[in-house]
Amino acid sequence: MLESLALSTLNTIGDSLRTRQVQTSALTPASAATQPASATATAFDSVMGQLAKEAVTTLKAGEAASIAGLQGRASAQQVVEAMMSAERSLQLAISVRDKVVQAYQELTRMAI
Amino acid sequence: MIDPLQASVRIATSGLDAQSTRLRIVAENLANANATAKAAGAEPYRRKTVTFDAAVDSTIGARLVNVKEFGVDSSPYRVEYDPGHPAANENGYVKLPNVNMLVEMADMRETNRSYEANLQVVKQVRSMAAMLIDLLRGT
Repeated sequence: MLESLALSTLNTIGDSLRTRQVQTSALTPASAATQPASATATAFDSVMGQLAKEAVTTLKAGEAASIAGLQGRASAQQVVEAMMSAERSLQLAISVRDKVVQAYQELTRMAI
Repeated sequence: MIDPLQASVRIATSGLDAQSTRLRIVAENLANANATAKAAGAEPYRRKTVTFDAAVDSTIGARLVNVKEFGVDSSPYRVEYDPGHPAANENGYVKLPNVNMLVEMADMRETNRSYEANLQVVKQVRSMAAMLIDLLRGT
C-alpha cells in the first residue's frame, strides 16, 4: 500500500515538474500562472499530509500492540510483528519525504 | 491485497506463536514428569500433546499455522516398585507419568529449530524491505 503511495508521490512530482515546464515555456502572465502553481502546492501538501497520516497510523498500531503486550494481552511475537511493521512504514515515509523534499528543493533552485 | 512481505511476517509470526505454545506443553510435561497421584492406585499426570492445523487467514489470503488442540498421550504409565509411596497400590507399585525425558528433550530441540527457522524468515523480510527502501535513499 505504501509502495503505491510512494509511486503516486513520484508521479505527482513528475506532474508538478511538467506543470512548471509548461509554465516557463509558455511564458504566461503572472496572474494566469498563479492558478496552476497553487494547484501544485495543494497536491504537494496533500501528498505530505497523506504520507504523515499513513506513518502515524502504523506507528499507533505498533504502540497499541506494545501496550497490549505489556498488559499481557498480546504475545511478544505479535508485538514484535507490529513494531516491525511500524518501523518499516516509518522508514519508508522518511525516505519518501526526503525524496519529495529533495525534488522540491530541486524545483526551487531551478533557474527561470 | 496485502504486501507479500508483510504477509510473510504475519505467517512467520503465527509459526513463532505455535512453537511457543508447543514449548509450553513440553515445559508442562517436563515439570510434571514425576507428578504422581495422591491416593493409592489413582492416575498420575498424563503426558500432553499438541497438534497444529493450517488455517486460512482471509485478510492476507494465506495459510497460517495455529494450534488445533491439546491432546493426551494414551501410552501406558511407567510403573515403579515403591511400597512406601502414598500412591502405591496393594502390590506396592506406583504409577508414574508416561513422560519420557528423552522424547521431551528431542521435542524441545525441534521446537527450537522450528522457531529459529520462522525467525529467519522475519529477518529475511526485514533485510529485503530495508534493501527496497534503501533504493530511495541513494542519490
